[in-house]
Amino acid sequence: MKKAAYSFPEEVLEHVFSFIVSDKDRSSISLVCKSWYEIERWCRRKVFVGNCYAVSPPILIKRFPELRSVTLKGKPHFADFNLVPEGWGGFACPWIRAMAGAYPWLEEIRLKRMVVSDESLEIIAKSFRNFKVLVLSSCEGFTTEGLAAIAANCRNLRELDLRESEVEDLSGRWLSDFPDSYTSLESLNISCLGNEVNLLALERLVSRCPNLKTLRLNRAVPLDRLPNLLRGAPQLAELGTGAYTSEMRPDVFSNLAEAFAGCKQLKTLSGFWDVLPSYLPAVYPICSQLISLNLSYATVQSPDLIKLVSRCEKLQKLWVLDYIEDDGLEVLAASCKDLRELRVFPSDPFGLEPNVALTEQGLVSVSEGCPKLQSVLYFCRQMSNAALNTIARNRPNLTRFRLCIIEPRSPDYLTLQPLDDGFGAIVEHCKDLRRLSLSGLLTDRVFGYIGTYGKKLEMLSVAFAGDSDLGLHHVLSGCDNLRKLEIRDCPFGDKALLANAAKLETMRSLWMSSCSVSFGACKVLGQKMPRLNVEVMDESGPPDSRPESSPVEKLYVYRTVAGPRLDMPGFVWTMDDNSALRIS
Amino acid sequence: MSEIDMAVIKPEMMKSYIWLQTSDGSIQQVEQEIAMFCPLICQEIITKGMGSSKNSAISLPQQVTPSTLSLILDYCRFHQVPGRSNKERKSHDEKFVRMGTNRLCELVSAADSLQLRPLVDLISRALARKIEGRTPEEIREIFHLPDDLTEEEKLEPLKNITDDPRIRLLNRLYAKKRKELKERERLKNVEIEEERVDERSVDDLLTFINGNDRDAKAVKTSKSKKKNRKKKDQQKNSSLKDNTALDKKELNGHDTGDQSSDGNIIGETSNLLYEEDGTFSPKIDFDDGDLDDDGIEPAIREKIDREVADFARRINSDWTERMQDFLTSGRERTSTFSATNGNGYLRRHA
Repeated sequence: MKKAAYSFPEEVLEHVFSFIVSDKDRSSISLVCKSWYEIERWCRRKVFVGNCYAVSPPILIKRFPELRSVTLKGKPHFADFNLVPEGWGGFACPWIRAMAGAYPWLEEIRLKRMVVSDESLEIIAKSFRNFKVLVLSSCEGFTTEGLAAIAANCRNLRELDLRESEVEDLSGRWLSDFPDSYTSLESLNISCLGNEVNLLALERLVSRCPNLKTLRLNRAVPLDRLPNLLRGAPQLAELGTGAYTSEMRPDVFSNLAEAFAGCKQLKTLSGFWDVLPSYLPAVYPICSQLISLNLSYATVQSPDLIKLVSRCEKLQKLWVLDYIEDDGLEVLAASCKDLRELRVFPSDPFGLEPNVALTEQGLVSVSEGCPKLQSVLYFCRQMSNAALNTIARNRPNLTRFRLCIIEPRSPDYLTLQPLDDGFGAIVEHCKDLRRLSLSGLLTDRVFGYIGTYGKKLEMLSVAFAGDSDLGLHHVLSGCDNLRKLEIRDCPFGDKALLANAAKLETMRSLWMSSCSVSFGACKVLGQKMPRLNVEVMDESGPPDSRPESSPVEKLYVYRTVAGPRLDMPGFVWTMDDNSALRIS
Repeated sequence: MSEIDMAVIKPEMMKSYIWLQTSDGSIQQVEQEIAMFCPLICQEIITKGMGSSKNSAISLPQQVTPSTLSLILDYCRFHQVPGRSNKERKSHDEKFVRMGTNRLCELVSAADSLQLRPLVDLISRALARKIEGRTPEEIREIFHLPDDLTEEEKLEPLKNITDDPRIRLLNRLYAKKRKELKERERLKNVEIEEERVDERSVDDLLTFINGNDRDAKAVKTSKSKKKNRKKKDQQKNSSLKDNTALDKKELNGHDTGDQSSDGNIIGETSNLLYEEDGTFSPKIDFDDGDLDDDGIEPAIREKIDREVADFARRINSDWTERMQDFLTSGRERTSTFSATNGNGYLRRHA
């Protein structure tokens, strides 16, 4: 017999909840019972909304009246590859307006892949007295005027991070709008800005903010101004340089080296545009303390990269161009035993011939030499099942594995077979794999492996792979924890989609473009599943002007409690009861 | 000698004691300096002058039972000694909270009522650790809480209210199905005999969806196919339990029946079709030499195609051979990077 439920005072339960912070745990406690749901919603301070259209501002505000921190994501991930047309959506304004009214004490707003206007920034600047953190990741739609409003009004701002956003850079003056009395800046990332900022204002800002830990400059900040900036902030932990080139003058070099040496707490380096290799040694004094190094814009050759990387024995994260080549990766494997994450980007993705000596071997070396390696993003031009097998067996602790073989449908270069078995080995051995991107020649078999073994897989990216609906069916029916599935240019059609319609409600979203899903199937799906928004994107005209069996250009399906969205552009149609009736 | 005489002779040996009464009515003596560690007791002594004798015993809040008082006093006894290092205190506290959840809950209530903040903090953290990483069901078990959120509340759906009992029944069945799917997870490693699907319930559902005048033959065809399933290592089939087992009361009291329930059934029942034929089971052994390189014999594939088409026809009478007609159009070969953003570089944070 169950014991009677133990009840303690609400304040005590609230206090217990205050120690529970992860989104997943907060969600769990809210689902325990009615009373916990109620208590939890009143003391929830931080919310993460993975898809801004899955819920609406009024619903959020009604459920969580006391938020201090909101994170929203807008466009689907494939927007990063320009597959989402302009004007698709992800508008931040309705959210910001609503929050301005409901959360006067809001402190943090983090947006990813959303459209943010200057007006929205002005509303943020004026509405939240205690505003502290603004992160705009891969956002667009605003100018430096909006930034000026933030600088001028947010007295308690700690963090301003514009990573990879597209900002209309009208003038560098906005930085001067931080008042002289403003000293609370802890993190500034302006690396995406195209134009020069007011350097004097920047230097003054940096030197008067004693808690500044992160400073990521844009390309336009010249190298010879860097030492001054560093001397103004010797407590810096993360630095992104500007252009890393200058006339080769000995005083510039020694100044730079000295300034770097003075930053005893510097652990993360990035930037390095236009690198002049002879300036790289200026960072040698701090290499031994670095845990993260982003050289993904550094167009220097392997020997220089090797000299740098071999000095970074504490390195945990390395992002680099494929100039590092197999040799460099071998040195990395030998020197950096603490490496957790490796990303190798292509220097010449559109070239037809390889321009560097980077093959699958580089990745194999790293998988052998780095026991803590968990996260991999690797662009290369050749791969083999044998190599993938070796990598899988070497590194069963991989959690993220994204392989991009540049030419679509490339087979195993040794056997000319599909790479099904290689990827199969990855999912079989790496039992905690959460994210996977496939490439190369792949049949339905690889999806069978994924469905069988990918039990912890949360995100899967597929392009130019598979033979039939069976492939999609394996994934949808087998991957119990799948949250995001994005597919392009695969022969997947209606059957697998309709047969697994219920699965889609357990996922955040499904993207399918250039596949074989018919308009008719989209309609059926939309009609039968009111808790899903089934959005068809077609820039060539309304889908009902073509036969029902024609495949749709792009399909984006996501679960929602907010109903069909109302801000769609002309090339997006929601398949729901109404539209189905109208069309048939 | 009386107590007073003792005090005169050896004052430094005499500790003062306080009288406390716990929730069960029993009264005990406790060293004053330890009891004073609790703000509530402190307050009673100082502002009301209570506790100096048995008759004026401080009546503690009803959450404080003799056993919880004893634990609380142990805690106070340790911490009120000055000169202990932080390390010592931390080590003591870690050991102190090693007890069952029920006791922790009792203790935190008692500590809270005595306003003993540090202990409330300590136990709250310990309880939080017991909650982290757990599912809602597990948390309910640990704290003996009722499962009183409706399915709809758990999903936070649109306010879609319908009184149709069939819809509510479908909702219930769907919820049961989901529970069973979760059960299956737990029993994964156990050898399970294949359970017979209760075919009646699937038919009943289809009747609900399509109205009672549906052609029963179409349903029977799929039934016979189910009997021919291959015996391979398969996951236990989730089956919809005999719907006569449902209590009548489950038809009442749920204020939401959403239209999606029949849509869900598309997925559920089709999954059954797929899972019962061993070919489609995710548990396929790929080293099996019987399989072709592409994994499926054409005859079986055709059968599955027919089943799905059949089923789709039942769902929507307008939907006929259209589903079979579309072709997989050949796509031009494009590079994986058909476009980068305007600056010509790939996003690093993608």
